[in-house]
Amino acid sequence: MSILRQRVFIASLGIYLFAVAAASTAAPSVDVNIEPHQIEVGESARLTILTSGSGTLSVTLPVVPGLEFRVVGQSRQIQIINGATIESTSTVVRVTADEPGVFTIPGLTPTSPPLVLRVNPSKGGGSSLLGNGAFQGPAPLVPGSSNTNGIHLTPDGSAFVHLEMPKHEIYVGESVPVEIQVGMRDGFVASVNGLPKLNSGDFTLNNLSRQPERAAKAIDGKPFTVYTWRSVLAAVKPGPYSLTFEAPMTIRVRTRPQRDSMLDDLLGDPFLQNIFGTTVPKEVTVTSPAAAIKVLALPTQGRPPDFGGAVGTFKISADISSSKNTAGDPLTLRMHVNGAGNFDRVESSMLRGDAEWKTYEPKATFNPADPIGYRGEKIFEQPLIASQPGTHTVPALNFSYFDPGTRRYETAHSSPLNVTVSPPADSAANEPPPPANSAGADETHGGLRPDHAVSEARVDSLIPPYFQPRFVGFSSVLALLFGGGWIALRRRELNARDTKRQRELARVQLTRTLLERMAAASAAGNAAVFLSSARSALQQALSARWEVAPEQIAEDLIDARLEGADKDDIRQIFALADEANYSGDDLKAADFERWTQIVSRQFSEETTS
Amino acid sequence: MSLRAPWGTILVALALLGSSSSHTAQPPAQAQAQAQAGYSAPALYNLGNAYARAGKPGLAVLNYERARLLEPNDPDIDANLRHVREAVGLPPESRSRFERMAGIASPRILAWAAVLGLLIAGASMLARWLYPQHRHKLAAATLLGISLVGVTIANGVALWPIMHEAVVVTQTAPVRVSPVPIEEPLFVLPEASIVRVMGEHDAFVLVRTEAGRTGWAQRANLAPILPRRVAADDVSLVITR
Repeated sequence: MSILRQRVFIASLGIYLFAVAAASTAAPSVDVNIEPHQIEVGESARLTILTSGSGTLSVTLPVVPGLEFRVVGQSRQIQIINGATIESTSTVVRVTADEPGVFTIPGLTPTSPPLVLRVNPSKGGGSSLLGNGAFQGPAPLVPGSSNTNGIHLTPDGSAFVHLEMPKHEIYVGESVPVEIQVGMRDGFVASVNGLPKLNSGDFTLNNLSRQPERAAKAIDGKPFTVYTWRSVLAAVKPGPYSLTFEAPMTIRVRTRPQRDSMLDDLLGDPFLQNIFGTTVPKEVTVTSPAAAIKVLALPTQGRPPDFGGAVGTFKISADISSSKNTAGDPLTLRMHVNGAGNFDRVESSMLRGDAEWKTYEPKATFNPADPIGYRGEKIFEQPLIASQPGTHTVPALNFSYFDPGTRRYETAHSSPLNVTVSPPADSAANEPPPPANSAGADETHGGLRPDHAVSEARVDSLIPPYFQPRFVGFSSVLALLFGGGWIALRRRELNARDTKRQRELARVQLTRTLLERMAAASAAGNAAVFLSSARSALQQALSARWEVAPEQIAEDLIDARLEGADKDDIRQIFALADEANYSGDDLKAADFERWTQIVSRQFSEETTS
Repeated sequence: MSLRAPWGTILVALALLGSSSSHTAQPPAQAQAQAQAGYSAPALYNLGNAYARAGKPGLAVLNYERARLLEPNDPDIDANLRHVREAVGLPPESRSRFERMAGIASPRILAWAAVLGLLIAGASMLARWLYPQHRHKLAAATLLGISLVGVTIANGVALWPIMHEAVVVTQTAPVRVSPVPIEEPLFVLPEASIVRVMGEHDAFVLVRTEAGRTGWAQRANLAPILPRRVAADDVSLVITR
């Protein structure tokens, strides 16, 4: 019984929990928010509607005058947790404001609170071209057509290039500030592949920055990113022209039929379109509408002789570095040219040299007042030296230009400047010139020692001569010559030493042979061979000692040069050697030994010496 | 205008801008034009004086240094160089004993001394083979010749660093950690200071100061003591301006 009650209790509890769970999932929740809460006219806010729970929740988009609601995305997620099915949906709605004000968006469900969106008037700071409030009442902008501001969208409405010029009738050389705008519809243009390019060789355009101004704009309610370049345009020759700019870019092209594109427009979000593969990238060149411009030639009548091509509106002023100076010391005369125009053609030779003033070439620097260099100040600096002491007047400077406003040449004048020039303290009229290399200080110029007398001797280079190739080459040749000579002499001596050494080796070898022959003759008792060999051996030994040829060693030379105890014995050997050839006398064994010792002693003396 | 030889153009342009003169000195523009045809110590010294009087200490020091390359022992050059550097708050240059000994004469004289030394040493070494009886005298002559060559080599060693130095010719020269103009400078070199040039990159040169600090300075702010050759088109451009 108790078991039955227990089972009934468990079953009841399960049914209760299931019923509670079913009841909890049956009531879906809705969460609505809008970001941002404050926008400008023409901008959009993002309204996100999140629902969670089972069952289907029907959300109707509100209707608020002045606001446009468009669904741009929706996602759905289903989760099963512990057997319960939970469905979540996310709906993204783009809210675009057409007019300023504070708008209240009513709650989408009876339980959700209302939302407040503040819409401020458009500042229009991103582009002066389109004008402030251009989107406050957006004119319908049909792709492929122009609106009132001259913007011409591409046929698919994805991009535009627009040229804005303040005037359409200019003079040759006149600088005209221009604005080039490239607009790309967000999500439809993948990239801009280069700077805008001017399609005319008869105009010059200053370099365009690679960092243009960037602004987000809505055109006909569609978001665009607009890049703006500002530059200066100038015409090269007169005539009527038609100017266009083009910009290469990559756009996303729809691949679905036009009827399906309506859905794309409805979705609007290119991210969602890409998910479904509805676009492909394509490189195109977008061209601006042709802008007619008439270029006039500068008139020849009334052209000043010093006109250098400056076109614009300018004014000049002049000043000088010091109104008091010493004769011979330089002054700097400055001319300031202010205004707007083609400053690259603003030139001046300033003051021309004469007997009163010695002048040098001026140098110009330009300080632009705007990023494109159309307005600014060009300063000319000219060094000049007063030839004589006294009160001098720097004459007024003139600058001629063509004013396109008045359509005539103008000449601006500066005021004359007075300069008092005092004579130098060490004037040559009163004192002799300082000697060259004088060690005294130059009192006139704050302690500098005086100048040196300049001679005609000059060098081509400040590089020390020993680092110059000519010197290095000459020295190297000289060193090589001496080195070569030294090597040649040394080699010659070495060769001579080698010859002498070889000769000595041959002589020693011969002497050894002769001594062996003496020993053999002694053993055989052959006196003639013995004495002949002994004489030859002695000739070799004495020739080496006296540095004469062995053949020249004879009795008379022995008498003249040989000294010592062996002199008579050696003379006797030479005499006996001659006699033995004819007489055939024999020698005793003791004689062989004695003569051998005498010869050996001469060799030992030679070795010792 | 050739971008490969900007130093000459810069110098000539600066000379044209900063022209000055005195009762004895030539104007810098004229003197610079003469320098194009050749250099002489007096002309460079006078050019330095002219720049000093014109209030351009950087160019003055540059020309004094160049004059000192030709005449290292001219007391006027040293005095005016010291004077100009002190006037802009820079300490006078200090020369080591080795530099003073190596610079006993101008490089030109020492170059000829080296040639003479080479001749003496070479001839005496050859003569030792031919006249061995005068071996000792000839050995002394060889030693004398080698000594002359040695003095010249020492002079070259002393001048070598100066040949790679540059002078700040603008009012200030910002020195940065890398050769790009956008970052904040590490420190600023004053006009007329002398730096050692250790490398180049585009419009920048890597410099080392006398205090041992290194960084990249813009080439336009410096002028090398040893001028680079001015391209022919640069000269013609200057003449026609």
